[in-house]
Amino acid sequence: MKQETEWEPKLVGFLCKWCSYAGADLAGTSRKKYPANIRIIKVPCSGRVDPLFILKALRLGFDGVLVSGCHPGECHYQTGNYRARRRVAITKKFLEYVGIEPQRIQASWVSASEGRKFTEVVAEVTKGLKEIGPNQLFSQERQGDGTKATARG
Amino acid sequence: MEQRLQHEAKALLEQGKVDWIIGFEPGSLKFATTPLITKDKNDADRLVINPFMVNNLANFLTEVKGRVGIVAKGCDSRSIVSLIQDNKVVREDVVILGVPCPGIIDLNKVERLVGKDRDELDDITREGDKVAIKVDGEKKGFPVVEALFDNCLACEFPTPQEYDILLGEPSTLVANKPAAQEKIEKLKEMNPEQRWEFWKNEFSRCIRCYACRNVCPACFCQRCFVEETEPQWVLPVPRWQDNLIFQIVRNIHVAGRCTDCGECQRVCPVNIPLRSLTREMYDIVDELFHFKAGMDKEALPLMTHYEQEEAEDFFR
Repeated sequence: MKQETEWEPKLVGFLCKWCSYAGADLAGTSRKKYPANIRIIKVPCSGRVDPLFILKALRLGFDGVLVSGCHPGECHYQTGNYRARRRVAITKKFLEYVGIEPQRIQASWVSASEGRKFTEVVAEVTKGLKEIGPNQLFSQERQGDGTKATARG
Repeated sequence: MEQRLQHEAKALLEQGKVDWIIGFEPGSLKFATTPLITKDKNDADRLVINPFMVNNLANFLTEVKGRVGIVAKGCDSRSIVSLIQDNKVVREDVVILGVPCPGIIDLNKVERLVGKDRDELDDITREGDKVAIKVDGEKKGFPVVEALFDNCLACEFPTPQEYDILLGEPSTLVANKPAAQEKIEKLKEMNPEQRWEFWKNEFSRCIRCYACRNVCPACFCQRCFVEETEPQWVLPVPRWQDNLIFQIVRNIHVAGRCTDCGECQRVCPVNIPLRSLTREMYDIVDELFHFKAGMDKEALPLMTHYEQEEAEDFFR
């Protein structure tokens, strides 16, 4: 018997080791519930996130990418998150121009003590991704006239 | 101007102030110029200045050792400054022979304009705000908009921003942004879906020759991410998905270094309108961080510094 299941977005999260990853950890140890749509990758600093990672994730079929690091001024390496901020800012704008929905590229500041905020961010982002539908940007079957991707609005 | 350049270049080599001269000499095809890289002072007589000096010579700066005298148009000088900002070039090791640029003539546009091959044309000259083309002894004037490279139409700084010797008076070329931005504005009117389809179709032609990357003075990585195999970020086979990722990421990587010199578009063998990507990135960087590449040699590279408060509205 085939069961119809609702489509669930897949989200990849690049979380900084010092803040956001610890924040996600806190959410877990405090038994807070958040959508299981996120797959977490630990990075040493949000400044480590090359825009290439974001594109690669979208290429692999992830529906969205979340880059999360320490609040401004609280970076373990002093300046990493400021650099990440510049990078994500231009990436988001540029990808929007090329034709990728800006909702697919998300960023947040989550500190190690903000387990609750982490759950909220993941819930919000997941909700946003459900609204714009699956990522068919790089799909092989994609038709030239764009009819295939109607779900993307 | 040309004679002065030859004289200066010769003097620089003779006095041992530079080891190399990088400039332009007449190319093998009609009107075209080709880069001249020489150590020999007698070669200085071959140097030319004309509105066909397409190449951005800054690209060769990192490839020669020693002190260099280099001919630079407005955009080239900014590429050089950008290399100085990135510590790829030491300012004291370069003698910039600045050429106020009248705008570079796109021979392909000229051919389309008069419907003749360049070999059949007698002469092409810049006259005031016109480009004069002489065919069969008859001279016709065309507005510069129709004959110059798109990026020259958008050029804000035709006169070099940084130079040691300025050859001639500052350029009178005035930017015609609406004409230069036409393609980009058309793209912006489309919805995201249509834009993506547009780029998908364009990059289906890409053969991944990497000419755009190799000609770019801002693309100076020893090892490019496309050639990494562990992990392999993009496949080396030319498929539109990977071609597009390569170009998008290349554009993001050169953000703040790209001076909109238009070389990537010019060298593309399959005519992908790459400038519609690079120019947009140039404008995004200007809009978000009020940063224009290669304007101030003391400035820090865009991606290595920050302001406390900026571009934060989208952070959750």
